[in-house]
Amino acid sequence: MKKIFKDTCIIAALMILSVFSISIIWSGITDEIGLVLKLFGLAFIISVANFLFDEYITLSIAVSYIVKYFVITGIVMLFGFIVGWFYPGNFWMAFIYVGVVIVLAYLIDSIKVKKDIAYINARITGRD
Amino acid sequence: MQIITRQVKGKPLTVTIEYPEYNETVTTLVHKISSMDVGFSANTDGRQVKIGLSEVYYIENVERKLFIYTAKEVYRLDSSMSEVEAMTIDTDLVRISRTCIMNTDHLKEIRQVKNSHLEAVLDNDEMLVVSRKYLKDIKRIFQKG
Repeated sequence: MKKIFKDTCIIAALMILSVFSISIIWSGITDEIGLVLKLFGLAFIISVANFLFDEYITLSIAVSYIVKYFVITGIVMLFGFIVGWFYPGNFWMAFIYVGVVIVLAYLIDSIKVKKDIAYINARITGRD
Repeated sequence: MQIITRQVKGKPLTVTIEYPEYNETVTTLVHKISSMDVGFSANTDGRQVKIGLSEVYYIENVERKLFIYTAKEVYRLDSSMSEVEAMTIDTDLVRISRTCIMNTDHLKEIRQVKNSHLEAVLDNDEMLVVSRKYLKDIKRIFQKG
């Protein structure tokens, strides 16, 4: 099920990119296409930040997600101000958007870590 | 499975695997035997020694210098993390953090310290910090068999 969901997300992203790439040729960058490109750009920046964070910083799972929450919210706010999503009256919404994603990611990650540890330890026990 | 050993003088150590059908067990066996042939030339007290893969507990990068840790000894290795990683593909050595490669053959347990980091406990009771990012790579080693 997990693989199907993952493949669905990848295929959907590829479909959006390919359909919009072709649309750019006919109609240029419309507002919708611009929004999608900006979202992909933001996702890329967050992925790079997340990679660097995981590579260079070792913290507990909860603390790392709290730090990530503030870092990513900062990135989203900055990006949002640059591309015109946010203005001084509504920038606080970034905390809600990022919060929802971070809470979901934290829950999935903590469950996955526990499952992986249980799997590895079971294999070690079986090996001995 | 039958194990037959025989002495053949004047020839290098040769392992022949006969199987009725190529399956996962054969792959694991080939992988295990191949990994036994990997070794490192390391330095200790100015002399060079050969360390077999099975003796290695972990390899650590400390201030851009690599050290091999066996059960009781520490050796200096003139190599880089990326070179070691390339050498140990298809072995039971796996990167567990930015600065450490661990031999999963000596892994006793992985545990999550309450509200804190992940730890690998080795069979000599040494403990290493594991980055969550690399947990899936450790799992992959055990999935291989």
